[in-house]
Amino acid sequence: MNRPIYFSIAAVAVILGLMLAFQFRNTSSISHSVPYDRVQELTIEKKQLEKEKAQLDDEIDDLTAKLAIAGKSAGEANIALRGELEKTKLIAGLVPVTGPGIEITLSDLLGETGAGNASTSYIVRDDDLLKLVNELRGAGADAIAINGQRVMATTEIRMIGNHINVNLARISMPYKVTAIGNAEVLKSSLEAKGGLAEYLSTLGIMVTIQARERVAIPAFKGDLSFDYAKSVQKG
Amino acid sequence: MWFGIGLAVLGLAVGVLIGLNVPLVLPQAYAKYMSVAVLAALDSVFGGIRAAMEDHFDNNIFLTGFFSNALLAAGLAFIGERLGIDLYLAAVVAFGVRLFQNLAIIRRYLLKK
Repeated sequence: MNRPIYFSIAAVAVILGLMLAFQFRNTSSISHSVPYDRVQELTIEKKQLEKEKAQLDDEIDDLTAKLAIAGKSAGEANIALRGELEKTKLIAGLVPVTGPGIEITLSDLLGETGAGNASTSYIVRDDDLLKLVNELRGAGADAIAINGQRVMATTEIRMIGNHINVNLARISMPYKVTAIGNAEVLKSSLEAKGGLAEYLSTLGIMVTIQARERVAIPAFKGDLSFDYAKSVQKG
Repeated sequence: MWFGIGLAVLGLAVGVLIGLNVPLVLPQAYAKYMSVAVLAALDSVFGGIRAAMEDHFDNNIFLTGFFSNALLAAGLAFIGERLGIDLYLAAVVAFGVRLFQNLAIIRRYLLKK
């Protein structure tokens, strides 16, 4: 028995003691904590859930981007639709308009009619107004109003007793017809030789035609309801 | 002889004290390998005691056996884990059997004395 043997015995004893102590602590800590397998299991589960979460986050980003794009295109479509609506309203006569045009005033020449028939002075009839409106439309008027009643697609002009109804509203003398359009063209079409103005004059109606820089035509104020007509979808 | 036993007991006590007071804790993942290594070390120690009883104790064989057995057992357990085979069971069985054989021989020597 010499020194190296004692040394090796001591070293081995210390190391063995260390290992035993470590193992003892380890097993005692295992006994009152979560088992190793369970930890591994939960770790794997956590990793999987994290992966899933990352994927779902990606999906959120993707869908948010898509939503933003969809919202943008919806906004654009909205603007386009609104523009279309405005245009349609303008054409239909549902918005007040203004622009250059002419103003025609029709009035009786009370007691000034010649040919001795002063007693039966001529009154402006619905036919006369209809012809006037027709002529103005033919000349390319954009918007027409009679005594502030907008003439549109459904407008009627008819005689009820001594009055004329336009848009179911009773109007009376003097009739003031305003039209927006090229004033020169409108005026000349009315004042042509053998034209409407001349014809009305011969009936005993005073016709004054004035070109105006700016004519205001109000919107249609009545009720618009289509009870029977249904639109037919094309295609 | 008695000096050696005293030294061994003292070393063991010192090792246990150090092991219990070191703040380091072995990760639980390595607990399995450590247990097999401890078993192998114990086997080597009892083998050494038996050799001393039989009077053919060799310091080199003792030292190399102690470390190589411990490391080999742990490494075997580790490889088994990787391969999906419970190889540490083989180590437990082999070292366990040898441990009991050594203990039996030591007991006989002690009884003969």
